[in-house]
Amino acid sequence: MLSVQAIDAGYGRIPVLRGLSMQVGENEAVAIVGANGAGKSTLVRAIMGLSPPTAGVVSFNGVELQRVAAHRRVDHGIAVVLEQRGLFGELTVMENLRLSEHAGRRATRPEGFVRMDYEEVLDLFPVVREKRGDRVELLSGGQQQMVCVARALLLQPRLLVLDELTTGLAPKVVHEILAALNKLRGRGLSLLIVEQSVKLAAEMTSRAYVMAVGRVVHEVKTGEWARTLADDTLSKAYLHG
Amino acid sequence: MTMTLVWQSLLAGLANSFIYAMVGIGIAVIYKGTRIVNAMQGDFAVIGGMTAVFALSSWGLPYPVGFALGILAGTATGWLIDRFCVRPMMRRNAEEDAFLLLTIGLAFTIGAAVLYFAGRDAHLLPGLGGSGSVQIFGAFMPVHAIWLIVISLAVVFGLWAFYRWSIIGLSMIAASISADGAETNGIDVSRMRGYTFALGGAIGALAGILVTPLIAVSYQMGLGITLKGFAAAILGGLANPLGAVIGGLVIGVSEAMAVVGLSSGYKDVVALGIMLIMMVLMPNGLLGHAGRKGG
Ligand SMILES: Nc1ncnc2c1ncn2[C@@H]1O[C@H](COP(=O)(O)OP(=O)(O)OP(=O)(O)O)[C@@H](O)[C@H]1O
Ligand SMILES: [Mg+2]
Repeated sequence: MLSVQAIDAGYGRIPVLRGLSMQVGENEAVAIVGANGAGKSTLVRAIMGLSPPTAGVVSFNGVELQRVAAHRRVDHGIAVVLEQRGLFGELTVMENLRLSEHAGRRATRPEGFVRMDYEEVLDLFPVVREKRGDRVELLSGGQQQMVCVARALLLQPRLLVLDELTTGLAPKVVHEILAALNKLRGRGLSLLIVEQSVKLAAEMTSRAYVMAVGRVVHEVKTGEWARTLADDTLSKAYLHG
Repeated sequence: MTMTLVWQSLLAGLANSFIYAMVGIGIAVIYKGTRIVNAMQGDFAVIGGMTAVFALSSWGLPYPVGFALGILAGTATGWLIDRFCVRPMMRRNAEEDAFLLLTIGLAFTIGAAVLYFAGRDAHLLPGLGGSGSVQIFGAFMPVHAIWLIVISLAVVFGLWAFYRWSIIGLSMIAASISADGAETNGIDVSRMRGYTFALGGAIGALAGILVTPLIAVSYQMGLGITLKGFAAAILGGLANPLGAVIGGLVIGVSEAMAVVGLSSGYKDVVALGIMLIMMVLMPNGLLGHAGRKGG
């Protein structure tokens, strides 16, 4: 469904990604792991059109995304939780959700796609429901992260990209969010997850790409997670040990 | 000094208050939607007032048409400034200070353009509701000033509802808070910025049309209006149109009192002095930090 082929991307003239390729299939959960500065967030930004690639192709369900403006990519069914969150702190939780719900409504989806409404999303995150009248900037980090996931779901995504969703969150909150995502996996939502914790990545996905200095240096294929976790040469070489 | 004199000059101050407020509201709208401090808001007023003057006197168009054309001219100018100045600068990642310099440059450019096309003369427009006055507790207020106040209040209420309830209003705020967050949630950030400048231009032009029956419009009055508008907007917390009204009232009324108590020469000093003191003592405006988010 998502295919990244040999892209270069970076910031201004500073190159970060060099000839990077990766794929996410229909109904698949894939992880991106790698040390700080490997270029994981740059990849996410390139996919979303925030740091457009200078070479290569990003396509989504056969549509070449470089022809689609960043704000129009959600129409095709990709939603993201950015590393920097990008919430509208001065607006209330409900106003944040309303903007995304509005954008989600204009998208067309294939036959059989089940749309999410406010009720369903707020059922997944009871805290968000409780805080819906509050300004987002007054919420805790974990609560804000749930608002981020909630609004991404209202964009009616077929692929959800999560950049370090769990970093800095209490284990209990992490499990609440993961439980919610697991429910959605059952409905055919694909995931692309950037994760600091390799263990968590292994729990949430079936395979992974390991990145270092702007490239994919290793692939963890389906069924290889257990072996990868046991074998520490890889983590010594590319992750945090 | 009689009570009537004080009351009379209070009423005059009230009318001025709402002019400052309208200019301040335009500054607040543009700041709220783009985080750009617009030093040419007063020139939108000159464009609006001048266009209406020419529509009426040179082209002989009826008042409502002149009114509409004036607002259209301000709206178009705002949109063009975004399209041909701000957007290219954004694309080249200009620093925030560059935009302030841009608007200062535009203030002078527009002043010069108005001089070239409209000449040096100052012009008045007829007042809304004619040239009559009403007597309020022994003092006189032009009917036009009452219209000015009513229209200003309608604009403030309209903006409050627009930013609070409409998707476009919310999107305009969102785009200025986090461009990345907005783009990834389906909001066209650069279009929202265009809308913001157009709206700021429309409000500025409206202010110009409403002030022109009281103060003659000329090519060089933009900066002075901008400064008063700034004072009002800063008192109100810069990003809060409602706050700008309160700021405008504080300034307009204090000016009026200064005219009575000191001399009319101190009028501007009072307005800008209040602005300075406020900036030091209450840098987030009269309504405090919360005021910045409101309205
Ligand atoms: N806004 C920016 N401008 C210039 N260079 C940047 C910018 N953001 C990131 N970089 C550079 O790009 C490289 C990759 O950064 P990126 O954020 O993609 O890494 P990451 O893998 O997401 O790291 P982390 O695990 O810390 O989030 C780094 O060398 C960084 O210095
Ligand atoms: Mg990152």
